Amino acid sequence: MEEDLKTSAKGQILSIRDLPTLPKVLDEVSKLVQNPNTSIEAIAKVISRDQVLSAKVLKMVNSPVYGFPGRISSVQHSLVLLGFNVIRGVIISTSVFDIMSKAMQGLWEHSIGCALATGLVARKAKLKDPEEFSVCGLLHDLGKVVAAVQLPELHKAVGEAVRSQDLRWFEAEKAVLGFGHDRINAWLADYWHLPATIKEAMSSHHRPERAQFYPLHASAAHVGDFIVRVFEYGSGGDDQAVPLSEQALKILGLKLGDLDEIMDGFAENLGEVSSVTFGPEDDAPVPGKA
Amino acid sequence: MLLTPDAELGALFKRLWDPLEVEWTVIARGRRAMEAIFNEPPDILVVDNRLPDIPSAEVAAIVKSENVYRQMPVILCLDRADLEREWNWNEIEADDFLVRPFTDREAKQRVQLTLCRSTRAMDANPLTKLPGNTSIIGRIQDLIDRRDDFALAYCDLDYFKSFNDKYGFSRGDEVLMMTARVIVNTIRGFTGVRSFVGHVGGDDFVFIVPAPIAEEACRRVVEAFDAIVPHFYDEDDRERESIVSTDRQGEVRTFPLMAISIAVVFNTGGRLQHFGEASAIAMGLKKKAKENPKSSYVLDRRTD
Repeated sequence: MEEDLKTSAKGQILSIRDLPTLPKVLDEVSKLVQNPNTSIEAIAKVISRDQVLSAKVLKMVNSPVYGFPGRISSVQHSLVLLGFNVIRGVIISTSVFDIMSKAMQGLWEHSIGCALATGLVARKAKLKDPEEFSVCGLLHDLGKVVAAVQLPELHKAVGEAVRSQDLRWFEAEKAVLGFGHDRINAWLADYWHLPATIKEAMSSHHRPERAQFYPLHASAAHVGDFIVRVFEYGSGGDDQAVPLSEQALKILGLKLGDLDEIMDGFAENLGEVSSVTFGPEDDAPVPGKA
Repeated sequence: MLLTPDAELGALFKRLWDPLEVEWTVIARGRRAMEAIFNEPPDILVVDNRLPDIPSAEVAAIVKSENVYRQMPVILCLDRADLEREWNWNEIEADDFLVRPFTDREAKQRVQLTLCRSTRAMDANPLTKLPGNTSIIGRIQDLIDRRDDFALAYCDLDYFKSFNDKYGFSRGDEVLMMTARVIVNTIRGFTGVRSFVGHVGGDDFVFIVPAPIAEEACRRVVEAFDAIVPHFYDEDDRERESIVSTDRQGEVRTFPLMAISIAVVFNTGGRLQHFGEASAIAMGLKKKAKENPKSSYVLDRRTD
């Protein structure tokens, strides 16, 4: 498999390197892991809020070393299968710097918000394993993080294009890099042997109707993305609303009216999500309009 | 057994170990030794490259090419000059070598290490790398002999065979790897207790924990297994929560998703005398656990 992804800008390449993660979550997980009485559920809950740690854990459990590549898509199951020792190792080896929140203002909030919304969509649509859908939401913009960290100059150019030409981030990426974060997502998912369900959600959340194998996952992430943008919670890089795909609702078996209910649930649960994930010791910032 | 024309080396090896512990047979000719090796395979074979009639590598090759003798660890005893040429260890398959001159201690520790390593490697399950039967039996008998209280759990999977038949061996191996991880991590989750996990073979696993936590351990293994195993099926089977496959009689049947059955035997107050008793009781219990198509565990609560 090709390791690097060449952009249309000369000499600018995305290469697989360790991704940064947020120190707050890391601290929290480290403490939990040190306590022998901590339940797997408690750790899974914290890790699920960090897209980078979640991705690392999923990547590891799905690596051929464990003997069942591509089978596991839930953080909780990953923890059972990896065990505390390995989790501890993952955390220790994860480089601690909060570059991500600096690299792309608001993306962090956007991602956990999308995880929450996608999970609610899955529950409303009565899909099995809603936690797996949350992961899809959490990771749906991971490609943006990678681009921001590895190609800061091009990342800046994308941001400028968004502002000057009034483009959506996704469109600006295509103009500057030659492809969007959907493509980066697919490349990451392949490289990390993530399950096909998550890969499809990551790579097709902008065009769920074209998802080949797991339209439910792509559609749920799409609707989740839509909801978190309606609330203007965090930012995916631009302040434009995603056009909601009617097809996605149809695939999920949801009516427009169902969205109201999901949004109510989102507003209710947002507090819980936001309180644990922000800043070092200061108060949680007030999220957007919510 | 030591093959060497060097009388001094022979004397050294005999001196290094208490004869009650390791008894060395020293033979000065390689070819003559082959019959002795085949008839009564020693626990370890040290071959001097100074043998006049056969190179040490050839002795190693002969031993390692026969599956019944393969597990016998072989150490070559070389001179520094022998290392001038390239040795193809893929072909020679020796387990280790000693280079003259070596100290007494070095020779002894080398041999001990090689013995330990070969025991570990031979016994480990080739798929999961968990300790196999020899270690399991040894551990159980050891606990019985010490009259320690413990709980011995036998786990196996229901409908594993039909899964294998439908999805093939490599998908079956995925499930076994997953099961091993679930059991190991669940048991390790109880910190500060002495525990053990072994892989008897196929879909049979064993774990040993202190009696008071046995039931909780079973509960957690069942819970984790049931949550994870559906992901090892294709989407449609997972939806249906069953698979259609051909049974042992060649008839097409519907089978439920795999489940884990656990039978637990307690050794309290030194009631068990022998490993065989433990496994006999467990086999009886397992039938009971298997009557339930869902994952379940049965605890042997007899205290006589």
